[in-house]
Amino acid sequence: MLHFANETIDLDQLPKYEETKLNAPHASYWRVILINLLICLLLLSGALAMLFFLNQEIRPYLVPMGIAYLLVWILLFVLYRASFKKRGFALREKDIMYKSGIIAETTTIIPLNRIQHVALEEGLFSRMYGLATLQLFTAGGQSGHMHIAGIPIAKARVIKEALVKRLDLIENPAIEAQ
Amino acid sequence: MNQDFSQPQRQSVTGIIIMTGNMLQELIRAFIIPILLMIYKTDYKQMMVFVIIVGAILLVSLLLGYLNYRRFTFFLDEAKQEFVINKGIFKRIQLTIQLDKIQQVNINQSLLQKVIGIYSLHIDTAGTDGKEVSLKAIDEQSAYRLKEKLLNHKPNLQAHETENPVAPAPVLPLLKISAGTLFKVGLTSNYGRSLALLIGFAFAAFHNIKELLKAFDTDNGQVESVLEKGITAFSVSLLIVLVLFILLATNIIRTFVKYFDFQISKQNGSLLMASGLFSRNHTLLSPKKVQITAYSQNYFQQKLNFMNLTLRQAHAGKEQSEKELHKSNLEVPGCNVAEKDALLQLILGKTPPQGQVFIPNFRFLNLPIFFNLVIPVGIYLLLASHIRQLWSFYPLAIAYFVLGILMIYISYTKHRLSVSEDFIVKQKGIWDISNEIIFSHKIQSITTFQFPWHKSVDVGHLHLHTAAGMIRFKYGNYTEIKQLVNYWLYQLESGSEEWM
Repeated sequence: MLHFANETIDLDQLPKYEETKLNAPHASYWRVILINLLICLLLLSGALAMLFFLNQEIRPYLVPMGIAYLLVWILLFVLYRASFKKRGFALREKDIMYKSGIIAETTTIIPLNRIQHVALEEGLFSRMYGLATLQLFTAGGQSGHMHIAGIPIAKARVIKEALVKRLDLIENPAIEAQ
Repeated sequence: MNQDFSQPQRQSVTGIIIMTGNMLQELIRAFIIPILLMIYKTDYKQMMVFVIIVGAILLVSLLLGYLNYRRFTFFLDEAKQEFVINKGIFKRIQLTIQLDKIQQVNINQSLLQKVIGIYSLHIDTAGTDGKEVSLKAIDEQSAYRLKEKLLNHKPNLQAHETENPVAPAPVLPLLKISAGTLFKVGLTSNYGRSLALLIGFAFAAFHNIKELLKAFDTDNGQVESVLEKGITAFSVSLLIVLVLFILLATNIIRTFVKYFDFQISKQNGSLLMASGLFSRNHTLLSPKKVQITAYSQNYFQQKLNFMNLTLRQAHAGKEQSEKELHKSNLEVPGCNVAEKDALLQLILGKTPPQGQVFIPNFRFLNLPIFFNLVIPVGIYLLLASHIRQLWSFYPLAIAYFVLGILMIYISYTKHRLSVSEDFIVKQKGIWDISNEIIFSHKIQSITTFQFPWHKSVDVGHLHLHTAAGMIRFKYGNYTEIKQLVNYWLYQLESGSEEWM
């Protein structure tokens, strides 16, 4: 507390998180997103086809509904592509940052000294392209967690190791000080 | 009982009674319908069978209670700083709790326990695994000693050992809540909870009576007809008055049962809270583990000069049941401004100064008005244009619209974020205006987001994640929000203050 009291802080001099340069996810992660999206849409298509097959009354509306459905497909692809372009993470000296979001632009920042634990997840499709998801957990609950998808496995391992080491560094002095 | 708890030991012998009682309760709950059926259907001869069955149930629960008692041991591992419990009749369970994960220790006494003269001790942990541990039977002195040991776990052999920590040291209470204040609290708060309780009770009663009649094959809709008669006999307005009266009465009774003789005192740097009419509830918590301190006040309460205070602790970020959530939230019903300030002083170390206030953009109003007012009223108009009879309800629709606008506008004027050097205070509410106070170093992570169509007007949203829940500030000036975030990050990353 004491060492804090006398400092004048120029707010404009503080490092600006919004100007940090972000690392984009790996290019082949776009394919993983596409595969996932396609699976979802195919399941939906199947369900709709069943509906048209079973229900005689809505058959005349096949064409307009088909067009609307196609438009939804296109819209989804455009949205996902745009969000993929905006996605990115940055590991700064004292915190980690992740920007994502389909419509809204969401930026989450976790100070390194607030990370509870780190996990690495390799999904089925991600693994085919040698990608992994880095998961960071805080005490702030579900919404405060961070899942950074689309990092090449080797790089993700390095980051994870670095974070874990960093965690030990933070925790050990605290233990010794007690 | 071994007083240093280092050897595995059992609970009080009288605990057998409690465990048997619990078992009996569970068994009876499981078999209540068959038992009732038997009483109803059996003749005198078969009565013997019935008596034998009841005897068997008693015997089985006694046996289970005894086994439970035998198999339940606990001890404190000073070297490893762990509290270990072994239990389980059919499968062995070992629970290990690291002492530094213990959040609070509660000592309670139910009616049965009061009769026998023992207490139960409940340990709340902050661990991500959310294990819950309780000792069901422990004598008073051991309970307080164990509590002391569990909470003052630092491997020190100082002060506490020699201090002779006999039961609760009679300290002068910091805060006592009188019956008068409780009455006021009962009159003015928690209508929602009491209403839910009443509705739940009414449904349960209705359902149970039906079930019972069904079991005896005599259900011919008597319950419904009785209810119908009752409703037609009363005029509706009288019914409303009656319901309101019952609601208030329930509210007051509930408040009294829960908070009777509420006291807070300071004990070794921790807060000791005690309350309860039938079963006395003692809670010890250390102020630094409080994550969010909130107080709320509505119009009536302001006139009567009191407010409600809630202390929220870390809940390990897991979705929790209502009950668990309730436990990690400690409530101080009814304290006046001076008492509130004294408590804040104690918990936060100082009263939060008036900080810089941030207000939301008027776009805050758009979505609530659209979804809560425009759409429902639009649907009504659409329906009314087809169905003539609905037109006569138009005054209701107008009243709904006007009231809705008013409420949304109030929520807009009350949505405020106030930031000072160490504190963040979020104000919100429509009827109950609440203020949530957090230390900026208790933030776990920060999320900011902005919709594309708000970019040009520089409006965005802020979520602060803490271990006791999220603080939201909506429709703020995004430039200001970004500046605040940079400032908080600087504080979080340059400081070394522990959040717990």
